[in-house]
Amino acid sequence: MRTKTMARTSTALASLAVMAAMAALPAQAADLKSYDSSKPSFWQKPPADWFLGDETESMKGLAPSVGPATPAPMAELQANLAKVKLPPGFKIEVYAQGLPEARQMAWGDNGTLFVGSFNATNVYAVTNGADGKRQVKTILKGLSMPTGLATKDGALYVIAVDKLLRYDNAEANLDHMPAPVVAYDDMPPYVAHGWKYLVTDKTGSMYIPFGPPFNVGIPPTSVSQVRRVDPKTGLAEIVALGVRNSVGGDIDPRSGDYWFTENARDWMSDDIPSDKLNHITKIGEHFGYPYCHQGDLPDPKFSRGHDCKEFTPPVVKLGAHVAPLGMKFYSGSMFPAEYQNNIFVAEHGSWNRHEYQGARIDRIVVDADGKNAHQEVFAEGWLTGKQDYSGRPTDILLAKDGSMLVADDWAGAIYRISYSK
Amino acid sequence: MRFSALVLLMVTAFHVSQAADLEAGAAAAQTCKGCHGAAGISAIGSIPSLAGQKDGFLQWQLVFFRNGRRANPIMGPLSANLTDEDVRNLGAYFASLPGPDKRPPPDPASIQAGAAIAAEHHCAACHTDSYMGNRAAPAVAHQQRDYLVKALSDYRSSARPSVGVAAMTEAASGLSDTDIAALADYLATYQ
Repeated sequence: MRTKTMARTSTALASLAVMAAMAALPAQAADLKSYDSSKPSFWQKPPADWFLGDETESMKGLAPSVGPATPAPMAELQANLAKVKLPPGFKIEVYAQGLPEARQMAWGDNGTLFVGSFNATNVYAVTNGADGKRQVKTILKGLSMPTGLATKDGALYVIAVDKLLRYDNAEANLDHMPAPVVAYDDMPPYVAHGWKYLVTDKTGSMYIPFGPPFNVGIPPTSVSQVRRVDPKTGLAEIVALGVRNSVGGDIDPRSGDYWFTENARDWMSDDIPSDKLNHITKIGEHFGYPYCHQGDLPDPKFSRGHDCKEFTPPVVKLGAHVAPLGMKFYSGSMFPAEYQNNIFVAEHGSWNRHEYQGARIDRIVVDADGKNAHQEVFAEGWLTGKQDYSGRPTDILLAKDGSMLVADDWAGAIYRISYSK
Repeated sequence: MRFSALVLLMVTAFHVSQAADLEAGAAAAQTCKGCHGAAGISAIGSIPSLAGQKDGFLQWQLVFFRNGRRANPIMGPLSANLTDEDVRNLGAYFASLPGPDKRPPPDPASIQAGAAIAAEHHCAACHTDSYMGNRAAPAVAHQQRDYLVKALSDYRSSARPSVGVAAMTEAASGLSDTDIAALADYLATYQ
């Protein structure tokens, strides 16, 4: 065994090695990881590896990927982007570099790009310097999973698990951000799937998703839902139930309806269940979790006598383990006319799958009522091996000129996709 | 025994292709040599050797020290002003040096116990069969014994963050003090 070298990225070989190792071990070595996630004590203090807790024999050994320790340098980003495929006429370039674990993006009124992060605990501001070069500043540090942010009336809103924080007059204070005002905190403290995304509607209310603090189980009362929160008053209503981990959404400019992406449960198989694109057509509808996945697949353990027909199915099944995160309706004027009101989805890509998929931007063409949906790949090329990435898209934002920005938490960068005839 | 997380670092990709400057790394490493040894091989039990260590692992540790997630009164201030480029250069420099020599095994019984624990916890799944590491999983063979005890204890108490999401937190969670001592003996003197 000692002198054997293994193909480091080959799951097949790794699995063989694991099986070989198992054969020589006591029976207990073959135990699959499982946790009793039904107790409040688990919700409050899940083990560090809580997401591995519903492991199966066929999926054993899969776990979230480890990214680079530092954001990719410019030369490497450019080499990566040279491999990204786009439809004819589209071009991708580096917009900003050096933003570890970049997640949701939002524009300030004066052109500052605010960017949240995952475990890096930071919020960044990208500004145009006097020399014409783009500058990246870390304007907030030490927040708990500040993945989601939004701007409204000059304020920057950041959501850090259980606090919606408001930083007034943010753009004028990038070097010395003011102490935040807590705009809303009627939220549970669970960090597991507690990272969030913020979407502001015309009235200034914010759609906020609440994921369950485990892979699958009967959720605590305050989660597995989407709320619409008025940050001025702190009043909130539940607009969707039965939602697992949603970290992306947008308002359809045609209807004003809220659409959102949803990451389906893990550990069933490489190919089921599918991740989802959902559309809320009436307040309070139930999207199935944990009883039913992808609109038509009862959970083997938690269906609890429910029929999938009771629940709202997804508009589009995006694919298993593609991990759809941020999304936007295209409302700009740069892209060809047929892109108007199409949905772009940033797919983060798999970890709970033997051969990764996702790590791309999908284009969804769909009517405002959810009919005639058609899905195609818009940008891909960040998947560099069976289980290797050069980048992982996390969010999409449109610029004033109609170009599209893409955040990448693997390479720690923001890209710009533009079109010209 | 649980080991799925341990397989993680072997089967998932860690990105190590970032260009680095070894000469700049060597210059920056002058600061490190007082404690970690002139050739990156520590003579102090509680301080790890860095020579021959995995680039990805070294980079992550410097990032963790710099942002305070791995709290250490010496390494915190020393890494506070490192740039990302410094981190990449230092990682590449120490990774390029020849690692520590084997040491004679002191106590056969303890070694045997350590070998059994390492097998039970599938340490080799990430650290490889030679325990010389891979990507973000460090070389642990021939490392300083006292440091190994401290590292395993810190992972067990979650005092130290684990790359591979929670691989080491999970692996160390079930170890007793005796297990940790045996593992450290086994790895420090690995033949």
